[in-house]
Amino acid sequence: MTFFAGEEALDKALRRFMRARPRHAAPVSAAIPLISNQEAWLNIALIKQYHENMPVEESRNMVFGLLRDLGLEKIAEKRNPALGEEERFYVMLLRAAMVERAAIVIDRPFKMLPQLKNFSAVMTALKTIDGLYASCDIYDYDWMKDKYGALCR
Amino acid sequence: MIFFAVKVFRRVMTPATYNSATRTVLINQIYFTSVQILPAFLLVSAVVGSLFIGVVFQALKNLGLVSLLGNVLMGLIVTELSPFFTVLLITLRSGAAINAEIAAMQVNREIKALEVFRIDIIDYLLAPRVVNGIISVVLLSFLFSIVLMTSGILFSRVIFGISTDVYVNILLNSTNFSDIVVALLKCAAFGFFITLIPIYSGLQATHELTSIPIVVSRGMVRVFAAILVIEVLSLLIRLL
Repeated sequence: MTFFAGEEALDKALRRFMRARPRHAAPVSAAIPLISNQEAWLNIALIKQYHENMPVEESRNMVFGLLRDLGLEKIAEKRNPALGEEERFYVMLLRAAMVERAAIVIDRPFKMLPQLKNFSAVMTALKTIDGLYASCDIYDYDWMKDKYGALCR
Repeated sequence: MIFFAVKVFRRVMTPATYNSATRTVLINQIYFTSVQILPAFLLVSAVVGSLFIGVVFQALKNLGLVSLLGNVLMGLIVTELSPFFTVLLITLRSGAAINAEIAAMQVNREIKALEVFRIDIIDYLLAPRVVNGIISVVLLSFLFSIVLMTSGILFSRVIFGISTDVYVNILLNSTNFSDIVVALLKCAAFGFFITLIPIYSGLQATHELTSIPIVVSRGMVRVFAAILVIEVLSLLIRLL
């Protein structure tokens, strides 16, 4: 986890992160939304279908398996506007994890999950899918440290 | 715009463009444009086509130009009316939808999201839609011609007292290979531009919702201008 004094510093660090990993950067951010006219599973599968030419059926089975692991299989066929905040966040997280040797960066998670009380739920999800990505960074403001509790100490 | 069209055309012709994701979009687009529209398209083709055939046949009879029946059917209906009518229907239904869809994606920053994940916009959004446009206009135009020719059997029997065999013979004798080629090229050009222009216009949207109606109306005006230009060019080619 990396904390920043303000928005400008955070945005600058994010841009640096993206530039440094042009092929593997995988952001999870409110500024990078899901595609509205595609189902949740297709938003995730799209990365493998496009970059690795993974057949539709294979990518569909893989994504449904991952959603099942996170207890979210029921949202697979929903589209972005029908998703709750947490559901949308996990779909974005899985989409990022689909990037080859993904360097995930979660940009201000509480901006996407304002109601979230316990950040350890996100950490549990990250552990569940830890075979899918190479690294995971979380960027947030200094004053949000308390929200992460023991995780940032 | 011309440079953009050339770039898209090159990408459409490149086999590497067609990966699993783009093939899926292409299949979905063909379903939305060519399959979902079929019942309404067949109905409208039958009604408008029969009306048109009836009026034209009656006019030919009144003017004593029955000998030109074949030329009118093949020259006017297959090469002119079918592509024009088809492209108008597809533009009204799918062209406007594509324009609004891309503009909404731009407003919602979904285009940016695709770029962040290194998904090429031309490969993923444009190529499948443009190929779908070409396939749909060619196939639906062919279908429209078939419907008109079929209703022609009925009207030729009622108005001229011509049997089906004679009617088919007239059609075959009037078939001109070069006309068919020009009609096919025209359909392909229609299909290319009635999808390319709405996407191009949609991409001009800003991040404000109010920009959607502006780029949609601008895109549709450009599409109709392009249809007229292609129609005039095809007429000039046939005259040369």
